[in-house]
Amino acid sequence: MGIPIPAGVFADSGSIESLPLEGEGPWVVKAQVGVGGRGKAGGIGFASSSADVADFIRKHADTSIKGHKVAGFRIESKVDFVQEVYLSFMVDAAERGIRVMLSAQGGVDIEAHAQHGNAMLSAVAAPEEAALVAAGRQLVEQLPPSLQRPLGDAVEKLARAFLQFDASLLEVNPLFVLPDGGWVAGDMKLGVDENALPRQPALEAVVRSRPAAYRESNFKLDHDFDYVQIDAHGQVGLLTTGAGLSMMLIDEMLQAGRRPYNFCDVRTGQLRGSPTRLIEVLKQFTQGPDIAVVLVNVFAGITDLGEFAQLLLDALDAVPEIKVPVVARLIGNNFAAAKQLIEQSGRPIDVELDLDEALRKAVEQAGVKA
Amino acid sequence: MSAFQLDPNTKVLVQGATGRMGSRHTELMKRYGTHIVGGIAGASGRREGSDTPLFGNCREAVEATGATASVTLVPPMGVLSAVSEALDAGIKLIVSPSEGVPVRDALKAYAMVKERGAFWIGPSTPGLAIPRRMKLGFIPDVSLTPGPLGVMSKSGTLSYETCFRLASRGIGQSAWIGVGGDPVKGLRFAELLPFFQQDVQTRAVLVLGEIGGTEEEELAAEMERLAFDKPVFVLLAGASAPEGVTMGHAGALIQGGRGTIQSKTSALRKAGAEVFTSIGSLVEGVASRDV
Repeated sequence: MGIPIPAGVFADSGSIESLPLEGEGPWVVKAQVGVGGRGKAGGIGFASSSADVADFIRKHADTSIKGHKVAGFRIESKVDFVQEVYLSFMVDAAERGIRVMLSAQGGVDIEAHAQHGNAMLSAVAAPEEAALVAAGRQLVEQLPPSLQRPLGDAVEKLARAFLQFDASLLEVNPLFVLPDGGWVAGDMKLGVDENALPRQPALEAVVRSRPAAYRESNFKLDHDFDYVQIDAHGQVGLLTTGAGLSMMLIDEMLQAGRRPYNFCDVRTGQLRGSPTRLIEVLKQFTQGPDIAVVLVNVFAGITDLGEFAQLLLDALDAVPEIKVPVVARLIGNNFAAAKQLIEQSGRPIDVELDLDEALRKAVEQAGVKA
Repeated sequence: MSAFQLDPNTKVLVQGATGRMGSRHTELMKRYGTHIVGGIAGASGRREGSDTPLFGNCREAVEATGATASVTLVPPMGVLSAVSEALDAGIKLIVSPSEGVPVRDALKAYAMVKERGAFWIGPSTPGLAIPRRMKLGFIPDVSLTPGPLGVMSKSGTLSYETCFRLASRGIGQSAWIGVGGDPVKGLRFAELLPFFQQDVQTRAVLVLGEIGGTEEEELAAEMERLAFDKPVFVLLAGASAPEGVTMGHAGALIQGGRGTIQSKTSALRKAGAEVFTSIGSLVEGVASRDV
């Protein structure tokens, strides 16, 4: 790829006694967190001695930045630069193209700069290398001559990387322009299009290698449907289908003063006669200490509810740890058969046809334990 | 480019008309009254209980049938080439239900569609329908009933539920178009507004939106630009979604403070729309206006 980055090493609180420092210093110590605005939040330190480096690590280990746990530190030799530049490529959904943004005033104050006048240059191009590089070069030409050679090279390499990785965002800030006319990517943010992972094996390997950092993405890779834990102390486990309707249910649950545990979209149309997905969601619920009720919602436009009811019962048999009551809101094809099947099972499952009524019952059950 | 229109007599092809899902949905669309005139075999090629004539490719199918629309029932990685094949054959309206299409493929597909002066609906959509006349995709029959509402939606299930409840109150739809839950797509909310303005059957517009992106804000701007004078009812999902977390729909993502429920609500209200954050309150709101 040929994108130059500062020389550096990874360290954590365990390596304080024997820091793997390179060079004579000074160094920059960067807390490793997956969130922007890290510098402003105090996550980057400058150190002129190994004692300073150890100090910074000691102070920031086991802390969080903007709600993200610090996963370690990268120690880099401080870069000697003449200018900090901002350069990014991102999908612009409204313009249906790739937006290139460039500012000669990069660094931690980029947002303030961007809000004050026209420091940020911007253009939209088609998602093809030639078009993207041309658009980027046109922006570079508006900057002082001394910046044009390094930034022209950066535009070319980063545009290629953006396309090669099916990125939704590739942001370099700061991009250091060096005294010798070269450049170094001081920090970089890469946004990945999950839908493209099947043709991006290298990126998929990164996602899989860090299950704690990319929890939802790994769940989707493993199980082929969406599941997001929302509130570790949630009271209502949601076993639902449809992204928009599930989102709406979460909103309405919160409006009614109850805490939903999760979001999910099991996609009943893709169950193919197997309870696997339902079992997977119920297993997640066993991790929720405050779950007092499970709310099932299926609007069956095409799915046969009789078949679904059997899968639900099979799934509940497979996860006997789930002992809380279940409110099952089912509507659509073959409702009568589903209702009969569930009632004959003798399980504490309340079958409902009306969504508001099911919500009310779930809210009531959640309140019993709360 | 001519304006977007819907003709219930449109002749429709199904790309991916074989296999379990392809055969089933082809049959369901046909039974609903859609003029399905032919199919292109999917990967498996197996025919299951359908008498729809099969063709080797879109060009042969269009030459034999005069089809002008197509539904691409193909895997997500196959959508770009299916759209390209349909456009090469002269198809002018393409509906792509597939979920999981890479953004880059959607950008490329859109560029081709635009160049040919065609229209693209989706991806990640249940499709579109004119109640009792035609259905391109799989909007459930139980939610479809003729009436005054022009519906456009980012979400399948939320629109099924909402329209089902409205229908049970006697309020149906003039036309129903799922724009889909992906960020990069074919027709967007704002681009459909002129169609609903022209359409005499449409007496009010129902929008099922959600957090993320700028489509709702664009819609508000277009309402003002057109001086849109039919009532517009909007239900917004995802008010409680945390920033930076995607809930199922790739497009439903708040980033850097953009795409929030507050931004959408204030823009839409300023443009004269009624905005709701629960299904029940929206249903009551629409029913009380006597559209």
